[in-house]
Amino acid sequence: MRGTGLRLPRATVGVSRWRRFRAAVDWPLIVVIVALCTLGLLNLYSATHGVRHHAKFDTQVQWMVVGVIGFAVATIVDYRAMVRLAWLGLGVAIALLFVARVLGRPGAGDANHGITYRWLNIGGMGIQPSELAKLMVILVLARVFQDAEATSYTPRALIGRLVILAAPIGLIAIQPDLGTAILLALIVLSVGFLAMPSVWPMVHVTLAGLLAIPILWETMHEYQQKRILGFIDCGIAPTKECWHTQQSIYAVGSGKIWGKGFLEGTQNQFNFVPEHWTDFPYSVWAEEWGFIGSVVLLAIFGFLLVWILNVALSARDRVGAVICAGVAAMTFWHVVVNVAMVLGLAPVVGVTLPFVSYGGSSLVTFFLAMGLVANVSLRKHGY
Amino acid sequence: MLIRHSSGPGSGNGPALPELHRRLKWVALIGIGALVVLVGRLWQLQVMRGESYYERTVSNVVKERYLPSVRGKILDRKGVPLADNRPAFNIYATPKLWTRPLEAELVRMLGLSDDEIAKIDERIEIGKKRDGKTAIMILDDQGRDRAALIEQALARLPGFEVRHEPYRFYPQGDLAAHLIGYMTQMTAAEADRLGNQGYDPSELVGRYGLEDKWENYLRGKKGIERYAVDARGQRLDEVTAAALIQGERGVPAVPGANLVLTIDAELQRLAEKAVGHAAASAVVVVEPRTGKIRAIVSRPSFDPNIMTGHLTQAEETMLKQDPRKPFIDKALRMTYPPGSIFKFATAIAALEDGQAAEDENMFCTGAYQLSGTTFHCHGTHGKVDLIKAIQHSCDTYFWKLAERIGIDRIAEVAAEYGLGRPTNLGLNGDAGGRLPTKDWYEKTTRYKVGYATNASIGQGDVEVTVLQMAMAYAALANGGTLYVPEVVDRLEAHDGHTITSYGPQIAKQVRTPADALDIWKRGMWKVTNEAGGTAFEHGHVDVVTVMGKTGTAEVKKHHKQEDEKELDRWNPNATHAWFAGWAPAEDPEIVIVVLVEHGGAGGTVAWPIAKQIIEGYFTKIAGRPAAPHPAAPDKDARP
Repeated sequence: MRGTGLRLPRATVGVSRWRRFRAAVDWPLIVVIVALCTLGLLNLYSATHGVRHHAKFDTQVQWMVVGVIGFAVATIVDYRAMVRLAWLGLGVAIALLFVARVLGRPGAGDANHGITYRWLNIGGMGIQPSELAKLMVILVLARVFQDAEATSYTPRALIGRLVILAAPIGLIAIQPDLGTAILLALIVLSVGFLAMPSVWPMVHVTLAGLLAIPILWETMHEYQQKRILGFIDCGIAPTKECWHTQQSIYAVGSGKIWGKGFLEGTQNQFNFVPEHWTDFPYSVWAEEWGFIGSVVLLAIFGFLLVWILNVALSARDRVGAVICAGVAAMTFWHVVVNVAMVLGLAPVVGVTLPFVSYGGSSLVTFFLAMGLVANVSLRKHGY
Repeated sequence: MLIRHSSGPGSGNGPALPELHRRLKWVALIGIGALVVLVGRLWQLQVMRGESYYERTVSNVVKERYLPSVRGKILDRKGVPLADNRPAFNIYATPKLWTRPLEAELVRMLGLSDDEIAKIDERIEIGKKRDGKTAIMILDDQGRDRAALIEQALARLPGFEVRHEPYRFYPQGDLAAHLIGYMTQMTAAEADRLGNQGYDPSELVGRYGLEDKWENYLRGKKGIERYAVDARGQRLDEVTAAALIQGERGVPAVPGANLVLTIDAELQRLAEKAVGHAAASAVVVVEPRTGKIRAIVSRPSFDPNIMTGHLTQAEETMLKQDPRKPFIDKALRMTYPPGSIFKFATAIAALEDGQAAEDENMFCTGAYQLSGTTFHCHGTHGKVDLIKAIQHSCDTYFWKLAERIGIDRIAEVAAEYGLGRPTNLGLNGDAGGRLPTKDWYEKTTRYKVGYATNASIGQGDVEVTVLQMAMAYAALANGGTLYVPEVVDRLEAHDGHTITSYGPQIAKQVRTPADALDIWKRGMWKVTNEAGGTAFEHGHVDVVTVMGKTGTAEVKKHHKQEDEKELDRWNPNATHAWFAGWAPAEDPEIVIVVLVEHGGAGGTVAWPIAKQIIEGYFTKIAGRPAAPHPAAPDKDARP
């Protein structure tokens, strides 16, 4: 264990190594993940209950196994080593984004939106390099913000780094995957606000970003513009997504206080909310488990976030704390954007609900991210 | 592994990321803020609006559709169906799922004609304006082959359905077509008006005759079926549906009521056959004891089976351009000058006033002078009394009577017998006709004495319908009871029990003195039974004693329209041939009025037709044995 830089709490000296490891492992984090995965599988079972989709449940279980292995690896390998290779990792992620752009296949069901290049086919399984990019950006952020001294945050140094960070965001935006791009931007901004000695540079960046919205709007694809217009008012742009949101709201609302019961949600069982297993699992959950269940699920996510921040606060070093802050930001924005979309408070963008949405890339990414948190947690008392 | 054995920047004392500690309250604020917004929205959607969204999701899944009700039949007095239903294949499509390529596919598959394509487009348009999600009928009454083609391609035709539904059909073809009527697709305005009563915009509604007038009774009440669908609109299986649908699964349809007519299909066919050779004609046979119509013919007619959903543009144009106007009911909508069959009014008026007597002789020279105008009688009858004047239809005698009593008295008596106003059958716009009076003339031009002369013999401006004459002669036959004609005997539920029965309806009791009536009747008897009678010369009925009156009505000069078509056996300037009478003479069972439009003389044209119908009725239908010639009804022998 020493070889991996793992130092266990002093109080446990003399206790068997396995027991000391067990004591150091972040069990509450694991319990929360297991709880989320269980609820996610339960929900997926209901969402894919129909004959045509039952294979998705098995696929998801397989991806969970992959995710658990990823979690273990991300926990055991010292995060400082990972951070040192962060730029390289981001480079790989950007390269994969390029490859996806050139070789990628259009995502299933996206035919209506023109061709998009989010997917990369590796060994028969589609993965999204943009998901990997999120993790790499978090690691790069940890590296960027590892110095505590205000002197290392001169505007010139910051601009260079931010430009490099903007590269993957831009690439993902032109994939086009606006949801992921916005999410990445939100992660960068959030971590910036949490880790910079002075918040003013981030305020400026945010304002600049807001001013750039009209330009962004002009460069958007028509289907993206329609989605946003449709979100504002179905009457302006009656799109598939608009109907999507409407049906999602009906599904959530119809759950009332106690829900319709497991497998009893008519909106999801009879496919009124399309693709409800990937981006709209929360509507399935809310329809079948009602207000009570919906709040419970949000509470679990709330606990997860509090716990990650707790790890950040007790991290041994700045790098670990920034990693946790990054993972917390990523989780927070995923949950908020996804749930807001399901509740009709945000336009339809492809943002998943951590551990609950169907899909290998998202699932493995979150397992890896939580692995990083566990990594930081494991090493909080020393290396 | 890449390891660095050093304590990091934040190791030991103090937090690793002091900025996070400092800004923790902001983090908490944003986190709690987001939670409050999301939970608040959940509360709004699930707790506050939950019930209404629940209803929405139920209506997403549970759909309703109308079940067709079987239209009531129209039966003759013996139960022979005149309008019935047969199974047919109707093709339905969902307007919302209708696309150009889909239409092209359909056209290619079925080889649709331009007429049919236009019809489909129109129906889809109407359907889109209403509820685009409900399948509407785009092609009705399709053959088995077309239905099969659609059914096997349903996978490629989203929103299509083939339904096996009852379709209106008329087993007797064009028999009594004007009376029965037909059905056509409703107009856009009607679709709007009737839409919420469960009518499909492509549905047929009664358009003419009884089908129109009794639409509300014949139609029945549509049922409702509730069923469950998934997001694609595909029907879910029965087990799932049963679990989803709370409460009633639907309401069964109520079949329409059957209309049992007073019409005798056999007599109707007999009458239509009898007038078959005439270009245009009308016949009414009524029961003088009840006013019930036994047969009512208007020809030329149309085949209601074609009119009901199968009329092509070409056929419609042809029917509409026919100068004989096949769509107008000649038995009760069209009015004609009655000619001599109207003379009863003149005779009775004069007898009532004491201005005529049975044994008064007048001399007919064939011409009659009145205030500078010469009127020509159709013959030179010499010395005639009133009875003989009726028998020979001597106009001069009636002209002289008219000179004594004036036009208003004639109109008064004619009005007593129901002329000059609609009979209240309430069908196909039955006309009132016209009884000119002095006032009537004064309103337009100046009254001249000659108008009374013309009116006395049913010419000039006198206009009647065939049905009116039938009801008037029925009143003459039964001794003075004017009935409201009836064609519907009763309304029956589909299980056969009577809903409403319609008894005879008396319009009024005519105040004609029995002796005046008797004189007229003796004249009528001679018309058909004694040498010299206008009808007797052209045939005699042996099975039963018939009495009647012929009429030959001159018509106003016809001005030919430019685009008018020429027709064989159709001369719009020829006289109308009339016969009105009844049989048996002693105890009238049927009154018959025959009109052959522009057919010629009453005796030569109308009487043989009436004779044929009467003979047919008493031999084939009433089954009366041949009776010997009875003597003329004696004035004292009658009750």
